[in-house]
Amino acid sequence: MTTTADEVRDQTIGRPSLALASGARPRGITGTKAGLAVIFIILSLLFVIPIYWMALSSLRPQSSIFGANINLLPTGLTFDNYTRLFRDTPFAKWFVNSVTQSLGYATLTVAVCAMAGFALAKYRFRGRSLIFWSILGSQMLPFQLLIVPLFIEIVRLGLVESYLAAIVPLAAHPIGLFFMRQYMLNFSDDLLAAARVDGASEYRLFWSVVLPNIRPALATLFILFALDYWNNLLWPLIVFRQVDHMPMAVGLANMISQYKVSYDLLLAGATLATLPIIALFLLFRKTFMAGTAVTGTGVQ
Amino acid sequence: MQRARSFVFGSKLAPYVFVAPFLIIFIAFRVVPTIYAGLISLDKFQGTDDLGFVGLQNYQKVFSNPALGKAFNNTLFYTLGTLLILIPIPLLLAVLLDSGRVVKETVFRVALFLPALTSLVVVSVIFRIVLSKDGLLNVGLAEAGLPSNAWLESASLAVPSMIIVAAWRWTGVNIIYFSSGLVNVPRDLYEAAAIDGASAWRTFRSITLPMIQPTVLFVLVLSIIGGFQLFVEPYLLWPFGNSPGNGGLSVALLIYRTAFNNFNFGQASAIGVLLALLILIVSIIQFRLFGGRRFER
Repeated sequence: MTTTADEVRDQTIGRPSLALASGARPRGITGTKAGLAVIFIILSLLFVIPIYWMALSSLRPQSSIFGANINLLPTGLTFDNYTRLFRDTPFAKWFVNSVTQSLGYATLTVAVCAMAGFALAKYRFRGRSLIFWSILGSQMLPFQLLIVPLFIEIVRLGLVESYLAAIVPLAAHPIGLFFMRQYMLNFSDDLLAAARVDGASEYRLFWSVVLPNIRPALATLFILFALDYWNNLLWPLIVFRQVDHMPMAVGLANMISQYKVSYDLLLAGATLATLPIIALFLLFRKTFMAGTAVTGTGVQ
Repeated sequence: MQRARSFVFGSKLAPYVFVAPFLIIFIAFRVVPTIYAGLISLDKFQGTDDLGFVGLQNYQKVFSNPALGKAFNNTLFYTLGTLLILIPIPLLLAVLLDSGRVVKETVFRVALFLPALTSLVVVSVIFRIVLSKDGLLNVGLAEAGLPSNAWLESASLAVPSMIIVAAWRWTGVNIIYFSSGLVNVPRDLYEAAAIDGASAWRTFRSITLPMIQPTVLFVLVLSIIGGFQLFVEPYLLWPFGNSPGNGGLSVALLIYRTAFNNFNFGQASAIGVLLALLILIVSIIQFRLFGGRRFER
C-alpha cells in the first residue's frame, strides 16, 4: 500500500493544481489516470472475488473448493448443493425466521427511536438531558457485559426461545435514537406550530405531520436495522437453541460447528444469505450508502 | 375534564409518552442488566441460580486463568492492527475517489462496499475456506510466486488472519465515512492552495486532514469499540472456536465460552466488567480528544 501512496504522490507532486480538487484539473494526466484505474481495478477484484468465489463454489462439488481444483471460471456448475441444503437442513425455516425477525426488529426499533427522537429534539422537559446523556453513555458499554444478565432476565421472564426475546432487548438502539433526534432537529417548527393552531393534539401532530415528512429517514433506518438483525449472531445464538426457531446466522453457525463440516452446503447457505442483500443493495444503493454515511456522522 | 384532557393531549405529558417505549426497553434491557452484571460478578452461580455473595472470588479465579491475558492481548493486538490498516488506507482511497481523477469511481465504490453486505457469519464461512492451507488465498499467492502461509494453523498468524478479514470487510464502509467527511471541505480552500502552488501531499496535510479530523476521530472510536467486541470471527474461523494455542481467542469469545460452555456466569460477568472498564478508560481518553460538547447541538 505504501508504494501505491508513493506512486500517487510522485505523480502529483509539484503540480500546481492538484489531485484533491475536482474543479481545476491539470492537462496531461492520462498517465496518472491510467495508473489509478489499474490500482482500483486490482483492488476491486480483491474485494469482489471472495464473494464471486463463494457463489461459484456453492454450485460445485466439495472437491472443487480446495487446492488445485479451484477454478474461477464458471464451468461445471450444478444445483446439487442447494437441493441437498433444503433437503438435509431446515434452511427454508431459517430463512423465513431471518426475514420475519429482521422485519419485526426493524419495525419496533424504528418506531421507538422515531418517537423518542422526536421528544428529545422538539420538547423541553424535565429529565431530557439525563435521558440523553445516559443513553449516550451506554454506547460505551460492550454488549458482552450484558449477555449473562440478559440471558438470566429472559429465563426468569420465561421468554427463552421466543421471538420477543430476540428482538425487544436490542430495540432501544442509541445510534437509532441519535440519528432520529438529529434528523428531527431540522424539522420545521412552523409546521408544528401551524398544526397546533389547527387544534391537533401532540400525538396527532406526530402521526399526521411529522411521520409523513420524515419517510426517507424512516426508510433508511429501517433498512439498516433490518440488515443489522439479518447479520447479527451473538444475541440470537443465546436466545435460540431449537433448530426450528433459529435465524439463518445461527443455523449457519451451527452447521460450521460440526465435527465433519459440509462446506458445500455451507457455501450454498452463505450464498442464499447474501444474495438477497446484494439485490436489495443494487436496487436501493443510494439509501444504503447514504444511510451508512448518515448513521455514521449522525452520532458526531 | 377539560383540564385533564389538555394534560393528556397537550405538550406537557406528550414528550414523556413519546420517550416511554424507548426508555422502558432501555431501562429493562440495558440499565438493569448493566447493574446486574456487576452484582453477578460478585456472586457464585450454579446454572441460573444465584448462590450468594462471594466477594472478589470470581475475579481472583479469572485472573489466575492464563486464557484471560491471552484474550486481552489478542483483542488489543487485533484492535491496533485494524486501526493501523482501516484508517489510513480507506482515507487515502476516499481522497483518491473524490479527486475526480478516477474514472467510473462509483463502480469502484460499490465494489469496495460489497463485502460490507455480507454478514460476519458468511464472512467467516468464506475465509475459513479461503485462508485454509490449500484455500484460495494460498493458491493465488502461489500463482503470483509469493510464499503461502498456513494462515489458520499457526498461533502467530491467527490475529493477522483476522485483521486481513477485517480489512476486507470494513474498507468500503470506512471509505463512505471519510467521503462524507470530505464533502464538508470547502472547495475554495483547495483552489487557494493550488494558487499558492502547494503540493498534493502538503494540501492533504494542511487542508484535508485538519478539516476531516472529526471524521477520523469518529472512525477511530467506532473501530476501537468494534475491535474490543470481536466475537464472530474467532468463534467461527476455527473449529469450535479453538484457534491454535488460543492465538485467536478474544475477550468476547472468552466471555461467551465461560458463560455458555462452562456455565460459569459469575466469572463470565467478571470478565465482562473488566472489558467494560478497559473500554471506559479508552473512552475517557478519547472524550478528552473529542470533547463531549460535539454531541450536543
